[in-house]
Amino acid sequence: MEAQHSEWKGTTGGTPWMQKSLVYALAWLPLPFVYCGMAIFVVPFYMLFNHQGYLSQYHFFRQRLSRSPLRAFFDVYLNHCRFGQIILDRFAFYGGRRFKLIVEGNERFMAMTHEPHGFMQLGAHVGNFELAGYMLTQDRKPINALVFSGETGTVMENRTRVFQHQNLRLILTGNGMDHIFELNRALADGEIVSMHGDRVFGSQKTVVARVLDAPAKLPLGPYLLAATREVPVFCTFVMKETTNTYHIFVRLLEINAEETTTVRQRAAALAQAFADNLSEIVCRYPHQWLNYYEFWQHE
Amino acid sequence: MEELIIELKKQIIEVLNLEDVQPEDIENDAPLFGEGLGLDSIDALELIVMMEKVYGIKIKDPSAGKEIFKSINTMADFVSKNRTK
Repeated sequence: MEAQHSEWKGTTGGTPWMQKSLVYALAWLPLPFVYCGMAIFVVPFYMLFNHQGYLSQYHFFRQRLSRSPLRAFFDVYLNHCRFGQIILDRFAFYGGRRFKLIVEGNERFMAMTHEPHGFMQLGAHVGNFELAGYMLTQDRKPINALVFSGETGTVMENRTRVFQHQNLRLILTGNGMDHIFELNRALADGEIVSMHGDRVFGSQKTVVARVLDAPAKLPLGPYLLAATREVPVFCTFVMKETTNTYHIFVRLLEINAEETTTVRQRAAALAQAFADNLSEIVCRYPHQWLNYYEFWQHE
Repeated sequence: MEELIIELKKQIIEVLNLEDVQPEDIENDAPLFGEGLGLDSIDALELIVMMEKVYGIKIKDPSAGKEIFKSINTMADFVSKNRTK
């Protein structure tokens, strides 16, 4: 699993020229029209030639959701369509388009921004987590978002442009330790740290949690950071519902303090709490599972 | 200084859960990250928090941190000069 995963480059596909054109075109083109074009001309191409991604999704639908072979094949097609729509929405957002939001459970998050201590917000590669950074805004605490340093120039330029008017700072991951000092400082200073909690990147240290009732390796870093700094953790999932609507779920991860006496135990309990929430969301929105590699360990 | 070095080695083994490592296995001048003890960025996080909680030292500057965490000797030297606990 780790060998396959390490081959994933973590960048948005397409040349800079294609990406810039998308930002301009999606500002005025009707999204349903673009979605249809993608479903007919682009998705079949990806399903044919991105074999590893296709297979991992097929296994996800067959083994985790017990779909029949034919149904799983059709579900993989729908999954690729949703993935394409989510990427297009991101570029449409860069171009100025805005989406309607249904927000669920944000009250505790907002209340905690009044507290002096820092806290964490974890997302996953489901739905459109990046939109949470653009649309769930507040001005009391700075948000420090950990992002992949190898992302394409166009995406990074647009992220920086959209974020510059918000209380949000990008921290780039690298092979070194700089981002660890930055994240630690942010939490020590009572700020918010935002990152993904599902995909192993950088450090290969992992924690095993049950996702959809099967063991999967989650990155140890986010959970260890929360456990060592003893800060609360929210999980946030931004799920696409209709062409112009996203449903945002914000939940506080609850763990049993009596059963978790050491830092490692607290980290493992947080990872499992995250996995439980993730499982529930994936069951509800299976076509927005966007981890295109073999996510689960073989039992 | 020798006492502090042994104390630091024990702290590192405990905090990082290095079950198969004994204090005498860690050389004072060997690099802690990469080669040597083979620690990575996640371990750095635990060392940063350990320095704060045990010795009252807050390390915020990444380049200073890299120098401090070079080896047991550099850690001990920094702790002896800057500890508040």
